Amino acid sequence: MKYFLIAVGMFVCAGTIMAQQSQIGNAVKSQMALRATGGRDSQADTSETSIQQLRNEVLRLHGEIQSLKTDSTNAPYSQVTEDDLDALEDHIDQRMQRLENKVDAVSRATAPTVLNPRMTAFINFAARHDNTTVYDATGSNVISDRPFLRAMEMELGSAVDPYAEAVAIISLNSDAQKGFTIEPEEAYGLIKRLPILETAPLGLKMKIGRFLAPIGISNITHLHDLPWTTYPLVVSKYLGSEHGDFFDSGFNPVGADFQFFLPSPLPSATFEMNADVLRGSELGISEGDPGGQTAYLGHLTLSEDWNNEHLLVLGASAYTESGITTTSLFGGNLTYKWAPSEQRESHSFVGGGEIFFGNHSYIDSTGATLTRKPYGWYAFAQYQFSYWTYAGLRYDWVQEPSNVQLVSREISAYISYYTTEFLRFRLGVEHRIRPWRTPNLDNTNSIIFEANFVFGSHPVEPYWVNK
Amino acid sequence: MKKIFAAAVLLFTVTSLHTFAQQKQLKVVTTLNYLKYVTEQVGGDKVTVTALANPKQDPHYVTPTPRMNEVTTNADLFIENGLSLDLWAKNVIDASGNPNIGVGNPGHLIATINVPVKELPTEVSRAWGDIHPQGNPHIWLDPLNIRIVAENIAARLQQLDPDNSAYYQQHLDAFKHHLDEKMYGSELLDLLGKKGGDILTRKTKDGELYSWLSSRHLSSKLGGWMKMAEPLQGKEIISYHKTYIYFADRFGLKIAGELEEKPGIPPPAQHRDEIVDLVKRDGVKVILNDNFYSTDAAEYVASKTNAKVIVTYIDVYSSPEANTYENLITYLLEKILKAES
Repeated sequence: MKYFLIAVGMFVCAGTIMAQQSQIGNAVKSQMALRATGGRDSQADTSETSIQQLRNEVLRLHGEIQSLKTDSTNAPYSQVTEDDLDALEDHIDQRMQRLENKVDAVSRATAPTVLNPRMTAFINFAARHDNTTVYDATGSNVISDRPFLRAMEMELGSAVDPYAEAVAIISLNSDAQKGFTIEPEEAYGLIKRLPILETAPLGLKMKIGRFLAPIGISNITHLHDLPWTTYPLVVSKYLGSEHGDFFDSGFNPVGADFQFFLPSPLPSATFEMNADVLRGSELGISEGDPGGQTAYLGHLTLSEDWNNEHLLVLGASAYTESGITTTSLFGGNLTYKWAPSEQRESHSFVGGGEIFFGNHSYIDSTGATLTRKPYGWYAFAQYQFSYWTYAGLRYDWVQEPSNVQLVSREISAYISYYTTEFLRFRLGVEHRIRPWRTPNLDNTNSIIFEANFVFGSHPVEPYWVNK
Repeated sequence: MKKIFAAAVLLFTVTSLHTFAQQKQLKVVTTLNYLKYVTEQVGGDKVTVTALANPKQDPHYVTPTPRMNEVTTNADLFIENGLSLDLWAKNVIDASGNPNIGVGNPGHLIATINVPVKELPTEVSRAWGDIHPQGNPHIWLDPLNIRIVAENIAARLQQLDPDNSAYYQQHLDAFKHHLDEKMYGSELLDLLGKKGGDILTRKTKDGELYSWLSSRHLSSKLGGWMKMAEPLQGKEIISYHKTYIYFADRFGLKIAGELEEKPGIPPPAQHRDEIVDLVKRDGVKVILNDNFYSTDAAEYVASKTNAKVIVTYIDVYSSPEANTYENLITYLLEKILKAES
């Protein structure tokens, strides 16, 4: 009798397991096909149905075993022991776990980041109202009292092979009144190791291509990630902007960046360095002058965080290029962030600022060497009032790169409302003082409304704190 | 002079051996603190483990800092939860410059592989809120899933450090046995013998533990968390986020609803009122609110009903009561039992 019961049990199990394998194969094939088509369709439903059927089948098997147990208990001369049946059940359980493993593998394999590059799109819309006529940095395009699609960015990123990753950020930037320019805002390969160098001393990472140069904080922040409605004046004027601070600004040259950790002078702090070799003559304060010579950039960052609640970052930058023209830029930056872990009331604070000193020597039309040494700075503070709402202030002070006697000052305030980290509305007011302009244009008051959309596979990330 | 020389040689030898022994330890970095705890149980003194997140922090929203990047630079193994919970881990891995812990390397482990995941979405869209395409990621609040996580970690430690394979296996077995004791009590385990833990785990997974024990007149021998949870069978609770799906299923609770209408989106007023109606209708007594979420919505519902708000910690080391994984589960059960009583 016991052999008969065990044989029946084994037969049922074997038949079911074979059926399972066949169905699992089909399920996996379906999911592979689904992944190839890149979307969820009726095949997904078929796979899920198959998996559910398999689960039901295993549950039915457990029922069979329970039935066998009952039979064996009632049989007068049963010698089927609990151990025999538990061993059988254990065997089936192992099959169930393998089935779960395959379900798990299939579900993970269909994740959207597999093989295809991660894709994220950013749309930044802004409309402004001004008390006077406002021109862009070229002085030829009126930008006051009108809406703009300021930028649309498409970010692609993926591993290239076991040694490198690649990132490409294609940007369509508003060309003030003239339309849009398309440019690779960033396009670089990030090399983490090489076949001849399997380890990375000091955590060395090498970036090759075009990228936002590591001068301070704002320059490595994209327009859609800014905590303000416009770039700081010193960034747009000294580092680079064709159309001014209202549009995308910054210094994104072609070159190579080496980033690594250094022994920290303070026990619990982190000390990092970027050393860059870049194509020169593209910096804001040297742009337009002949050159094309090699430029060198170094950036040091000393930072410390306490329980991931308080973060203090100090940075120093030095840029130099020399040839037909000579340009140097020195900068310092300070950022403090406070974001409590227990965000029961969703409050946080971010504050800081940057200062830049420029030095640009060139030969004028008479053959004389002229040197300009402008400097400028800004400071800001932002407080989070609720899960959705942030408000902040910024003050700018900057000398014109072409004439240090001309100083612009600006105070701006803004309030940001996030539905989620992917959708933001912001209302900002700016008061700009330029005593060196014609009397009617000395002061400009502007109201700027901004809407920012992020969509795609970009991970959930609180931009307003992370950046 | 000879004595001084001999002492110096001895000191040098001891120091070198000590340094060598230290170097032999695998350096492990984990995203969350429960992963650190499990790794320490399995790895014993063969590993040094650092967790990146603050255990009181929302694991979805951790800001990668330079300190995290530097800590990870020399790691032999990086362990993350996966299931799109600690997505910030990628930023840390990339910024660390450590080529051995990148995705696809033996030094990178997603600890939740092979865990039976719940709530696999049939539609993936941001319109559903902060959705996790690979299923609900809060798997660690079910102790049976921790067994699988521990097995995954042990297997990877054995792969990276095969010389100590037996050591890791021994620690894994001991940890699983300890978890079984906490889950079912040592008296029942002793009665069932060597395979008792596996049998009880299987019965629990199949949802037939209590009936199986009853049929064998072993109900009185049950101890541990499953005994503690007996009064909770079928009790309804409300949670802020979908944090307690695994915990509730394991210990017989029923999640009547979440304060969040959609994951990651703060509760809209209309939904709060719907929850108030639900709590009144079903007589729900407990609202679980993770410590990192606002309690405003929960307090609102509580003010309109008889439900109690319990602010809970969900990671190991987040509070003195949750200084081990075992104590974390005990702490959660005790909190709910007290509120239900």
